[in-house]
Amino acid sequence: MSKTVSGPIPLEHRTTDSGEIYPGAIDLERVREAHIPVYEQREQITADGNTAAAIATLQMWRCILYAGFPITPSTKWIETVASHIAGIKGGKKRVKLMEAEHAVADYMAGAAAACRDLIFPTATSSVGLDHMTETTRSLGASGLGNTMIINVYRATANYPLCIEGDPSDTLAHRDDGFIQLACRGKQQIYDTILQAPCLGMNPDIMTPTMPGFYGLKDSHRNARLTVEPDREIHEFQDAWIPPCPLPGLINGDTAFGNCVTSRWFQGFKVEQKRRIERVFELLPKIGADFERRFGRFGLAFFDSAGWPDDGAADLAVVSMGPDFGTFESVREAYGARAGVRVAGIAVRLLTPFPRAAVRRRLEKAKVVLVVNQAHHSGRGHLTLDVADALADLTKPPRLVSAFAGLGGADVSEGTWERMLEHARGALDGGTLPPWAAFHEGVEL
Amino acid sequence: MKPLNLQQILTDSVLEIRGDGKAGGGLVLAFQSLGNLYLRDPQIHVQEWPFFSSARRGANIRSFLRISRRPIQAACEVTRPSVTVLMDEGATRSADFAQGVLPGGTFVLNTRHSPEECAQHYRLSGRVLTVPGDDIGTKHLKAPIGNVSVYVTVARAIGGFGIEELVDAFLQMLKKRHVPQAVVDRNRAALLATGESICEGVFDETKPGDHAEAEFGGYGPLPVGAQTALRLSQSNRTADYAPSGFRLRFEDPDVKCNGCAACITNCPEGIIRWVPDPERGVLVTGVDVSTFCKLCGECIAVCPENLFKQLPFEERWEEVVAS
Repeated sequence: MSKTVSGPIPLEHRTTDSGEIYPGAIDLERVREAHIPVYEQREQITADGNTAAAIATLQMWRCILYAGFPITPSTKWIETVASHIAGIKGGKKRVKLMEAEHAVADYMAGAAAACRDLIFPTATSSVGLDHMTETTRSLGASGLGNTMIINVYRATANYPLCIEGDPSDTLAHRDDGFIQLACRGKQQIYDTILQAPCLGMNPDIMTPTMPGFYGLKDSHRNARLTVEPDREIHEFQDAWIPPCPLPGLINGDTAFGNCVTSRWFQGFKVEQKRRIERVFELLPKIGADFERRFGRFGLAFFDSAGWPDDGAADLAVVSMGPDFGTFESVREAYGARAGVRVAGIAVRLLTPFPRAAVRRRLEKAKVVLVVNQAHHSGRGHLTLDVADALADLTKPPRLVSAFAGLGGADVSEGTWERMLEHARGALDGGTLPPWAAFHEGVEL
Repeated sequence: MKPLNLQQILTDSVLEIRGDGKAGGGLVLAFQSLGNLYLRDPQIHVQEWPFFSSARRGANIRSFLRISRRPIQAACEVTRPSVTVLMDEGATRSADFAQGVLPGGTFVLNTRHSPEECAQHYRLSGRVLTVPGDDIGTKHLKAPIGNVSVYVTVARAIGGFGIEELVDAFLQMLKKRHVPQAVVDRNRAALLATGESICEGVFDETKPGDHAEAEFGGYGPLPVGAQTALRLSQSNRTADYAPSGFRLRFEDPDVKCNGCAACITNCPEGIIRWVPDPERGVLVTGVDVSTFCKLCGECIAVCPENLFKQLPFEERWEEVVAS
């Protein structure tokens, strides 16, 4: 049913099971035309992780409102965005500084529900993410795949306080309902943020995204960054982001849910699980298209290093974040010295955890060393995920669990070698503790 | 002592550089500038990042830089640098800036002292370059910040760039940051003045055991609630964090303190001394600079009566050399 509503601006609207749709409320073509390109051609610049994240969001024509609350020093995303926007004459993009992180999340929920075809990003860290929790749970379930929280990993509000890169904040929010993507290095941060909305705004997924990277280790590390022209980014994103089928203005059903009985709550949650698991099918396709267009690896379940053709590594490492690079730098020499084949993966899709892909990669390894970088009362968040992935193998690899880099502590080459040596003990059938922690080449 | 060939290292493997200084002292900007300089060559890969904690201005910080003609994989901190930088001599009260430097490494110091004096005092073996960066900063930039001079000195130590290119790269970075032209011009003057102020020499003053990498011996017992014992100011000796050559002083001969207590509540280290006062509530009587003061400046900023000041403080390491 379609009719025109009288008022200051006559709007066509239709009634659906999910609420009212107002197709002409926001003229997307005008929004697109108002975008002033940041880059007209491919360029190489110097950037840290925060700047790479800011540039990526600034280049999207669908990003017109940037809500944020400064969380220093983890991320200066909002400051970088604001500085850039202030420098553009005639620009239409706007920055909204909120009074606290919970307000940022509320604002995003309202704005994203008002126009589901635009993208609403913010960036935060640690306690900032915790402050958003009430709303992030709603965002995760609401179908607002057009929201994106860029999380700079930092130990959650803790005792004692620590401001360095530790993914315990993002891991504490595993079940908020976001697609969580872990990045390492500036280029991956930039590229991931460009691809994330394609995933989250897919009509079969409609789930918000949470790209993340390590505080200080990546947020403050400068290196070369290749930036793409806005035009090509728009072509890529528009190919993957169709018009959203859900209502485009807040009408009571969209931003925050009504109160329902448990029976219906359960039904919605099952659907939510199904939606997010469709990521397994779509993510590789988006990644492949990104690679085809831009010539760099696109989204993937994980990065791989050192795998023999037959996949039969003696020692396989599972980790995430920039410290995996240090593993890569010692991998070959250690393997030659120890006489073992060493390979590894750095997980990029944290939630939903890519069980099947991880199982396929690890199933022929003899020992799997999982390096956890956040506090966990058991063997480690990542260990549990990997154990789950390997559970239904008839002869699974031995799983060795390690902790290193808690609170963002440095994970030195010596620490990697010590962890590998520790895990090598399992190759000989030795008995190892359920977990062990390492720092500066020493087992703690 | 044959100095390392830094260009060779950069080409064959990864040139690793580490710097020590104090928050707010220009170390991070100096390293960022060096990173920018080398990234102008599309064949060169660079990694640059700082390390700091939650402590404020004046706290010790470190910066790291890796430069290579090959892709850089390692992401860990630099512990065996070929080049080490000392931006602020005050930092050496808490950290050994020469720790783990490779034999024949290069040492760059922002100091008024000569390379020979520094080599003797810090027991350095290798190539030592000194530059009075704070003085150059004071003269040209109106502030005792040596980042411009350290940038030029490190770049010269590594080689491969003429002074024109060094100046151009630095000024371009400032322009991208929309720095006013007058400031750009002052930086140009500081950059050009640095070239003729650099002194260098090769020395062999390290004794066995000096600057050895400390072995991590574990954390030891950490009883529940040990945060008090781990207080940053104690474990990191933040009394040593005050910028080199300065100390905080509280003076109130006319008893102007109005009892607002702003200094007490804003001091991150709780070192403001006070007594109860029936009229004012509290009367501030002094400040304990011997323990935790890192001259963050909070008390100076908030005191309505301007009773706190940052005053010059004579450094004493010359006497150590003399003795």
